[in-house]
Amino acid sequence: MKRGKHQEVLAEKLQRKAAPEARQLRKQAGDWLKQRRADAGLSQIDLAARLGLKYYTFISQVENGFSRVPTEIMAAWAAELGLEPAAFAKHLLLYYEPEFHRLLFGAKK
Amino acid sequence: MSVVAFERKPCAGSWSETELNTMVAALNVAIASGNGRGWETGMTETDDAQFYLLGPLPDQACELCVSRIGGRYILEDGSGRLLFEHQNLALVALHANAAVRSMRGWLVARAVLLWCTVRHMIHDKVEPLLDGSEELLVELAPQLAAFA
Repeated sequence: MKRGKHQEVLAEKLQRKAAPEARQLRKQAGDWLKQRRADAGLSQIDLAARLGLKYYTFISQVENGFSRVPTEIMAAWAAELGLEPAAFAKHLLLYYEPEFHRLLFGAKK
Repeated sequence: MSVVAFERKPCAGSWSETELNTMVAALNVAIASGNGRGWETGMTETDDAQFYLLGPLPDQACELCVSRIGGRYILEDGSGRLLFEHQNLALVALHANAAVRSMRGWLVARAVLLWCTVRHMIHDKVEPLLDGSEELLVELAPQLAAFA
């Protein structure tokens, strides 16, 4: 089915609106992760070593807000920061998928 | 005696212009494709430089990351998978270019697979219906003509 012109305009508007928001939220998630790591008394190198990563560069990538914590290492990441994995995942969902978080938990955006 | 002033290779701190040019030139295929794609730089906690290739809108998430640690260049994807590492940036940039191309190839392969699936579905489900209605029309046409 072909999309109408108004649908395309709407999609474009939504995309423009979502772009900075997604990046900003990822950055906020990174800042939160950085703070939690500092609370745990770990450096980026320490955390990477504990997660079995050869280099610590990915930790920086995530904390700088350019990538997300991958689902497959989320539990381990939480454990190394001394946090409960479910609460950790729930909190990250607030930044990574705010709408999904709102639907699941009814919290504000 | 004259001393040739070779450019000192930076092995700490932010990216040099030469390093940035090397990476941007290698990843130009992806960067120039538009739709919000681009690149940014950042630093690690210990002041090691990072270069991020950003994906398209709306997410603009990191697709590839090149980091410099003690004169060694590390190429990772957006999920932290180590793709390549070497002391020669040109070689790392070449691998980054190949990684971008394989990502595009993967997208094309997905599109082809989707197209084949849709065609297969049409062939299996829609065409028998059309064949049936065509046969019905062939049977009914003389009767309808006679009736008219």
